[in-house]
Amino acid sequence: MIDLSRPRRLVLLPLLAAVAIAAGCAKDTVRYGDARGVETVTNEFGSTDLQMIAESMTRSMLGAPVVAGGNLPIVTVQEVKNKTSDYIDTRAITDSIRAELQKSGQIRFAVDAAAMQQQIEELERQQSEYYDPNKSAETGKMVGAAYRMEGNITSIVKQVKDVKDVYYKFNLQLWNVRNGLLEWTDEKEIRKTTTKG
Amino acid sequence: MNRTWTIIALLVAALGTGCAAKKGFEKPGFSFGCPIGDAKVSSMEDLVKLKVVQEGKRTTILATEMRCTMTGDLYKVDVNLNNDSSDIKRINYKFRWIDREGMRAWEEETWKPLLMYENSNITVSTVAPTNKAVDFRLVLLSQE
Repeated sequence: MIDLSRPRRLVLLPLLAAVAIAAGCAKDTVRYGDARGVETVTNEFGSTDLQMIAESMTRSMLGAPVVAGGNLPIVTVQEVKNKTSDYIDTRAITDSIRAELQKSGQIRFAVDAAAMQQQIEELERQQSEYYDPNKSAETGKMVGAAYRMEGNITSIVKQVKDVKDVYYKFNLQLWNVRNGLLEWTDEKEIRKTTTKG
Repeated sequence: MNRTWTIIALLVAALGTGCAAKKGFEKPGFSFGCPIGDAKVSSMEDLVKLKVVQEGKRTTILATEMRCTMTGDLYKVDVNLNNDSSDIKRINYKFRWIDREGMRAWEEETWKPLLMYENSNITVSTVAPTNKAVDFRLVLLSQE
């Protein structure tokens, strides 16, 4: 048992109270922010970069003759290669581009390679004995894409003592599946510089 | 002599008609290709005043020219921004798209940062995200 004699207790109790108050004051503050605001916490790839790339690519593609003709081209999304030294979820970029294009009503998307397994599994499931054959999806009716979308993201990073400069270049291409022609391509460049102090 | 004067007069008249035809090319409800609805726009300044809004911190960057055209059934917009100060300026901008009923035709765009060198011009271009967007505003916000 700890013996707290009176003089010692007199010193310890205010000390403990002070620590408790200090711990209470250090409470983190949580606030909602603007998801579409400009984020400059670090100069690594961030939400503003993702949103700007998705918007820029989408608007450019909507103005391309192959899309602007109102033919509702069918497109499949392929890989965007990350050639930077950072970890970048390139799927998040292509998902944003696909969502904006689909919402525009100018393009339709066919199932891509990443989602093909799930598509086949669902088709096979519906062909099982548990489903009404008149209401289940038939096999052999999927529509192939006329165009495939692919791209890459590269970066150049330079750093001296107090300055770090990051340059990102995102390139997206739309290829004609049948004849192998490049129907549209565009780039978005982003430069961010951090200066210490 | 008389014939020469007649030919000159005819040429002047033809040129005049040509200019008049160009002026009359603009459809009603449009100015410099941009939709203006019932607003009275008689100059580029009027158009810019109608289409450009500032939010938050005011910037000294000015939109000086604006032109619109159609690409397929989507609006394409070019806006010239001018920094006439002797300092580098940083702004954020975005377009706001409006549908036929005056409602938002598209969700709020992301703010796009823009660096403008001293005494310089930059043209920002965009295409409407959907054919439901029949009008727009350019929104500027100072980063200073």
